[in-house]
Amino acid sequence: MALSTDKLGRFNPEKPLENRITDIGPRHFWQTFPEVIQKNYGKWAYHDILEPGVLVHVSETGDKVFTVRCGGMRFMTVQLLREICEIADKHCDGFVRFTTRNNIEFLVTNPEKLGALKQDLWSRKFVSGSYKFPIGGTGAGVTNIVHTQGFIHCHTPATDASSMVKAIMDELFGHFTSMDLPAQVRVSMACCLNMCGAVHCSDIALLGYHRKPPVIDHEVIGKVCELPMAIAACPTAAISPAKTEDGLKTVKIKEERCMFCGNCYTMCPALPLADKEGDGVVVLAGGKLSNRISMPKFSKVVVPFLPNNFPRFPEVVGTVRQIIEAYAADANKYERIGDWAARIGWEKFFEKCNLPFSDHLIDDYRLAYDTWRTSTQFKYTDLAWAVSRAADPGLDD
Amino acid sequence: MEELKSAIIEFLEGGKTKTKFYFKDIEKAVKQKIPEAKTLQIKKACSALINDGTLIYFSTGSTTMYGLKGRGITEDH
Amino acid sequence: MAFEPKRPQKKINYEEIRLYSDAELNSTTEEELKNFKIKHDIPMCEDLEKGPWPSFVADAKQGALHRRKLADGRVLIPRDVIEDLLGQLELSFVHGETHWKHGGIVGVFGYGGGVIGRYSDLQEEYPAIAHFHTVRVNQPASKFYDTDFLKGLADLWEYRGSGLLNLHGSTGDLVLLGTITDQLEPLFQEMAHVLDTDLGGSGSNLRTPSCCIGKARCEYACYDTQAMCYEMTMHYQDELHRPAFPYKFKFKFDGCPNGCVASIARSDIAFIGTWRDDIRIDQNAVQGYIAGEYAPNAGAHKGRDWGKFDIQKEVIDLCPTGCMSLEGGKLVIDNANCTRCMHCINTMPRALRPGTDTGISMLFGAKAPILEGAQMSTLVIPFIKAEPPYDNIKEVIEKVFEWWMEEGKNRERLGETVQRVGLPKFLEILEVPAAPQMVKEPRSNPYIFWKEEDVPGGFQRDINEFRKRHKR
Repeated sequence: MALSTDKLGRFNPEKPLENRITDIGPRHFWQTFPEVIQKNYGKWAYHDILEPGVLVHVSETGDKVFTVRCGGMRFMTVQLLREICEIADKHCDGFVRFTTRNNIEFLVTNPEKLGALKQDLWSRKFVSGSYKFPIGGTGAGVTNIVHTQGFIHCHTPATDASSMVKAIMDELFGHFTSMDLPAQVRVSMACCLNMCGAVHCSDIALLGYHRKPPVIDHEVIGKVCELPMAIAACPTAAISPAKTEDGLKTVKIKEERCMFCGNCYTMCPALPLADKEGDGVVVLAGGKLSNRISMPKFSKVVVPFLPNNFPRFPEVVGTVRQIIEAYAADANKYERIGDWAARIGWEKFFEKCNLPFSDHLIDDYRLAYDTWRTSTQFKYTDLAWAVSRAADPGLDD
Repeated sequence: MEELKSAIIEFLEGGKTKTKFYFKDIEKAVKQKIPEAKTLQIKKACSALINDGTLIYFSTGSTTMYGLKGRGITEDH
Repeated sequence: MAFEPKRPQKKINYEEIRLYSDAELNSTTEEELKNFKIKHDIPMCEDLEKGPWPSFVADAKQGALHRRKLADGRVLIPRDVIEDLLGQLELSFVHGETHWKHGGIVGVFGYGGGVIGRYSDLQEEYPAIAHFHTVRVNQPASKFYDTDFLKGLADLWEYRGSGLLNLHGSTGDLVLLGTITDQLEPLFQEMAHVLDTDLGGSGSNLRTPSCCIGKARCEYACYDTQAMCYEMTMHYQDELHRPAFPYKFKFKFDGCPNGCVASIARSDIAFIGTWRDDIRIDQNAVQGYIAGEYAPNAGAHKGRDWGKFDIQKEVIDLCPTGCMSLEGGKLVIDNANCTRCMHCINTMPRALRPGTDTGISMLFGAKAPILEGAQMSTLVIPFIKAEPPYDNIKEVIEKVFEWWMEEGKNRERLGETVQRVGLPKFLEILEVPAAPQMVKEPRSNPYIFWKEEDVPGGFQRDINEFRKRHKR
């Protein structure tokens, strides 16, 4: 059965329910597996990372499968997808896999085929020179950044995603293609605090943030929006009905209650909140979701705001680089960024990463008290002396 | 089923400025009118009304609402 | 192992379904690509063509050129759709603001999710992307594909959409980016009839479930994540397509406590593989690690000289419960005190393996920050068997659904509902007793809201009886 070239395909608007197929769900996974996977399903004994981006899995049956992992772009064209298929057809019997972190995995069973596959992947470049399929992203390194849509396709982003990810991965490319860090570093990126990307448990999380409440388009809001919906959309009940001087129906916003989520804008295009100067990037660090050694942890805000400096975000890239290099130099083997920070103390984290501290980094939302230090245990850093000198200007005189 | 359907429509027609409703609001209104109505039956009645074109879904992407077709601001404004 | 799809599966052969000829697919030369300028001036975007990491701009441009060269009538939405998208992206960089608006449409008839409406707010400047809706496609479990399907999808999406897509979105769907309203129904039915595949979830419904690679290629998988993900996706199709929940609801299936699909941070119910017997030990392989024959941590630290592997320092001393020791050269694990964190297994995969009496831990209520703050999921069911048809687990799920549909407020995730009413109430719903495993530590305040039935004699007392003992 071929794909239809008719404008409406198999859909008949006169009889929309005719021949209609619904609720079939996804394809069954079994038919998407290469033979070696079908044969050894549930029988894998161990694995080994042979070199960055190349894994071997060994089965109890003695079978082996080699996996080559490539950095992929979440956002791609069907032309690139066709090239992925061409590679899979040429080397991998027509099968390919994607990871949850947008990497592409090619599987082969023969070590000789492995060499040819690797060579083929490294040889493919875009005309502008960047690699199409860089190999890496395994073990104690930086793997691909999971991210959201940004300016490519979202209506509430406070920054762009694809461009920031490209800029950071260009900078961290050496850590993607090697395994020279104390443990894996998972970097995640979300364009606004709704966090389609749910970045809140990442070693380093980059989060777009609005800092200005919506601006109300009083003239049209009553016509283009259903006001009760816009009002109900606000999670903090900051929006209420109002009238303009001319008697038009509109809304008013309690600005101090706005948490900049954009849910009202979703319901009502007359309440835009994007703003060039207001919007920027929050950096969080020290989260993880594996249960290995320590329990999963939330990421903590370590930089409250960096500007959106399109298209390459030098301030964001620099901060990520600073954190990773300080971590690489100081952490123990197997220690994730959050475990490292917990061991040395967050005051040392700020010192070693050379990051400033401000009152924005002290929680004042719900349950804030849980994060305040109720102990005399602390380490001296310059920031502690700044407090002591402020309290007693005569100290050390 | 027919009783549930008419209770749903009655409720949706009663909205003055509101034209889109969460399922929970519909459920609550229907249960007020027909106390023995079960949540799952109300959902089925809503789905049936969607299928016969009386109701439409409206989505913010993260949450979904129901409305009467042709009322209020809908698709492709 | 029997693999029974819940419906007959179509065999997909690209040569039979294809829309484009080889000549059409290979119409651009390297030279043309080098000299290609899209119709808008995009210096900032073009800056992103440099550098070693794959460039989405370079890719988008090759897609744009490819569309330009297709003959009239070979695409059903504007040919210059990618060029307008890049043009709008460039302007977004200049303005520092997005140019997209949301719409309310949900797409196809009868479904309440799967499509998200999207419109440019500069429709005159970028007419090709005036309407640019998102379509979520339910991915196969653990994201293996055969190329017949992917090539068919590529043709379909180039013909009826922008040719731009995500492999994959954050929840796990294969996401198609950008088509017009009129093409939604045809696209949906072509996918169903020819590509044998359905839409995913959006809105207040069960979102597309996703799982880790599991038994397909991982020795740690404690249960069949793919089989369970597929079964639950099929079993709850109505919940996935016809939203009647207070808000979104996510299932994620992780095969072991390493948590590769982030279920503990991202799903309303996290199904995480675990075991209740002993870690399997191959003492010969332990000696192999000690002797340096095998790289520790499956070779994950090969990029740096960390010195000789030291089992005491790197495994035994890092064990969070201190339940391991070397006795007479043999590795001994006190399994009763093991919390199954996976560190020793990850570090010495040839020597140690999870037990064989496996099942899952069920945790509830993770979510991203809006509104109460981010939550991770809470351990409620320490161990439950996970064997097809998973009726024991479906029973638990349905108790949760029924209660949350009743008790949850509009736009309240399960974790928030549980927080609002308290974990003890949730345990009552699930009909399970409380256990210390559910908390990091017991409460530090004594403000227990005793119920009347908890206290002997109840709350109703006679003041006159009291006054017999105590004067006013």
